[in-house]
Amino acid sequence: MNKVTVFLYAAGLLYFGWRRLLSYLRFFQQEEYSKPRFVEWLKAKRAYDRRGTALAVGIAILAYTTHGGWGELLLALTGTLGFLWIVRWTEEDPRTSGKIKLNMTIRATKIAYVAFGLLALLVSVPIGMSCFSCCANSTPFDTFAFLSVIFVQTPPALLMVANSLLWPAEKALQDNYYRDAQRILRETHPLIIGITGSYGKTGAKAALGDILTQCLGPTFWPKKSINTVMGITRTIRETLKPYHRYAVIEMGAYNIGSIKRLCDFTPPQAALVTAVGIMHLERFGSPENVYNAKSEIAQALPADGLLVCNGDSPGARRMAHEHKRQTTLLYGLDSTAGNLDCRADNLIFDDKGSSFTIHWQGSTYQARTPLLGRPAVSNILGAFTMACALGANPAYAAACLANLEPVDNRLVLERRSGVSYLRDAYNSNPIGFTAALEVLKTLKAQRRILMTPGMIELGDQQAAENRRLATLAAGAADIVIVVGHVNRDAILGGLSDAKFPPEKIVTVNSREDAFNWLKAQGCAGDLVLIENDLGDLHEGDVRF
Amino acid sequence: MAKRLRIAVLFGGRSVEHEISVISALQLMLAIDPDKYEVTPVYIAPNGQWYTGPELLERAFYRGVPGCLSTLQEVTLLPKPGIGGLMKLGGSLASATRAITHDSSIIPIDIFLPVFHGQYGEDGCIQGLFELANVPYTGSNVPSSAITMNKYLCKMFLKVHDIPVLPALSIARKDASHDIAAVTSWITSQEGFAQFPLFVKPCNLGSSIGVTRVTTREELPSALAKVFKFDTVALIEPCVSEIMEINVSIRDHNGAQASVVEIPVSQSGVLSYEEKYLRDGGKKNGPSQGMASLTRVIDPPDLDHHLRDQVIAYGKKAFSLLGCSGVARLDFIVDLASGKLYFNELNAFPGSCSFYLWVRSQPRVLYTQLIDEMIETALNTFAVNSSLSRDIGLQALK
Repeated sequence: MNKVTVFLYAAGLLYFGWRRLLSYLRFFQQEEYSKPRFVEWLKAKRAYDRRGTALAVGIAILAYTTHGGWGELLLALTGTLGFLWIVRWTEEDPRTSGKIKLNMTIRATKIAYVAFGLLALLVSVPIGMSCFSCCANSTPFDTFAFLSVIFVQTPPALLMVANSLLWPAEKALQDNYYRDAQRILRETHPLIIGITGSYGKTGAKAALGDILTQCLGPTFWPKKSINTVMGITRTIRETLKPYHRYAVIEMGAYNIGSIKRLCDFTPPQAALVTAVGIMHLERFGSPENVYNAKSEIAQALPADGLLVCNGDSPGARRMAHEHKRQTTLLYGLDSTAGNLDCRADNLIFDDKGSSFTIHWQGSTYQARTPLLGRPAVSNILGAFTMACALGANPAYAAACLANLEPVDNRLVLERRSGVSYLRDAYNSNPIGFTAALEVLKTLKAQRRILMTPGMIELGDQQAAENRRLATLAAGAADIVIVVGHVNRDAILGGLSDAKFPPEKIVTVNSREDAFNWLKAQGCAGDLVLIENDLGDLHEGDVRF
Repeated sequence: MAKRLRIAVLFGGRSVEHEISVISALQLMLAIDPDKYEVTPVYIAPNGQWYTGPELLERAFYRGVPGCLSTLQEVTLLPKPGIGGLMKLGGSLASATRAITHDSSIIPIDIFLPVFHGQYGEDGCIQGLFELANVPYTGSNVPSSAITMNKYLCKMFLKVHDIPVLPALSIARKDASHDIAAVTSWITSQEGFAQFPLFVKPCNLGSSIGVTRVTTREELPSALAKVFKFDTVALIEPCVSEIMEINVSIRDHNGAQASVVEIPVSQSGVLSYEEKYLRDGGKKNGPSQGMASLTRVIDPPDLDHHLRDQVIAYGKKAFSLLGCSGVARLDFIVDLASGKLYFNELNAFPGSCSFYLWVRSQPRVLYTQLIDEMIETALNTFAVNSSLSRDIGLQALK
């Protein structure tokens, strides 16, 4: 009877453990399997198990008051059903739910299985012991129920241990892929253009890839914001073809040296720097470190290389000055900061996109694009400058701008049942936010609504910047919906500074609640700016 | 019961009209007489790989592409006469080559039925493969498919045979990308092209993809650039302001036969891809039925008889001149201001095989019968071609 009781409870515990492993794995994956970042997230969100622990504690206490027999069996059954209920009915499957679902890649699957194996091993030790021996004062079930309180807390640690155990094999595999991608690159030998910037690099990459394809020849560029060695390796192996003549590679700076590593992997002959700002300041410590990290791309260029920098960004302008190459060009929208080789003015936004005039090498070109906002125009201008410097016909390149497609979730205008939505839901930053507010203010609408959780990863300036942008928002929006708690105080503070009517402020706990509010209160003629989406890692509470 | 003819229905393909081809093929496979034919569906994925399997008969299956393709058998047709069907492909090219010698690796096929719209399927490419493999196939042959796919060449060819067409210019992508300003000036200096609006469209594509109605000279470069995302040649035509489209389907069965005519109804002046294929589709009204779901008036009773007779006469003439076979749809436009009729384009394999026109024709032709006759014609054509003398022995090399 004792053994049956223990086995029954262990089965429930293991099932619970498996689902918990998957739930945590979803976040571990979003933190790119980085142990320090995952631990930091665990601590910040206090995402420790509560429900399972409460149940295990309850069962353990009751187990001490029950002495063997049918009572314990009933208790074990209750515990098992309780575990089942928690993970099956109070929580969603991380593989099919959440903003960023758990993607069961080969690596994730291996980690999950090894971690589960470790959990099974942990659980089997007391089971094994209980089969052969038994303490004088307690039944095996008592001991097991007590230990299970500890077991339910182990999944995050087990994931990290599993990841460490698998790392040598994973590293070997990654090295193989890396070498294979390098071989493909050597054989294809495209002209590589590296793109970096504190913001705008993904948009500039898509625009440049598209313009080069249209004007000069087949161009390879990893879609979305793939900008790490592993991400690029994978894309090269899967999609770089022998006919590609150009390769546009986005290079993300996660710390000092990361762009250099990317440049060693895909050595650029040309580089586009969209901005050097304060994004991800937390990772770098100081603006100077950000500049040094970004400068690695310019340093990697050969002497006869081509460097194109955004003249509107002081950091990027400084880079052009300090790392001059055979051809160094500046582009921008604002010539007050100094000379610009390629300039755009007469910016007009409407519901069909942006129109502007480009000044390049003594000629002017009227251009139009379905993309909205100053940052988009700036990115396009950078791509235009690079394409022209590489030999594209400027008039044709300008014509191609009309056929660019918006990069997902970056100031995209959509209409649904009379309500217009301006989606700008990707890594909001002060410049992007300001630009989005400008568009919100410019487009025709009956009522302008801003929905935002604010900006993150701005180091010690986060509160001040959110407060400042909220003040600006007060002049552009009629209603402000503040999502979540991360920046709530700063945004409310900014709105209050600008004397924004409190009755026009809506505070909600989650993005879902914000949409529910819009569903109930929105009406035809509304223009809703959805500024930033913090994702699962930062938004809302994580409760297990 | 007589032995059923083994028929491979090929669809999908590397064309922007991939999905429409799938819809047309699903309709066609439902209409094929199962007592007479044993159907092998062959899906050509967007990456050009060929697959077969019973799952391909289910519309829902395609939602899982490309992930679900691994459950299918990969096949190919080798450009080698005498194989007798499709070859199953194993894991590697080496095993595939070995497979040629094993009968179990061949899926026997008696006749191929291509159901493609657009490039690589309707333009002579796959027909060329059928010719090399020396297998019977339905529809138009290589030169007919190629010339009808190129809107400019098709128009110029019919023009010399006194079929009225609107003036047209063709622009090559390499010229435009080299100097768009010069190209724009050249276009607007041509007679009849100084006035806007103009239509700018891909020369070798159907389905209205990449088409722009250009209203000012300034819009011309970006409209051309849009075309060159999809095609290497752009076609420019004057825009008839008061326009009515009239379509007719023609098939070769004991000579060229014409269906009733139809007038597609456009909401915006030019039929967009959405209007052609998605307007009656989408989630609200159930899945799209391709061309069969377009809003149209079939056999309008109040249409001027003279106009209708002209459409049918020009249709048959064009079909025969171009050497088409199977079922085609010819699109004409009427300038309502002048009353003039112009040939617009010919679809060598029209959406939904134009069955919706034939079921309303006199005598009525059901889809099943239409397919029967296409197959019969294809087998006859193959027999005739096979009787041609090609072997004159080695003489020059001796």
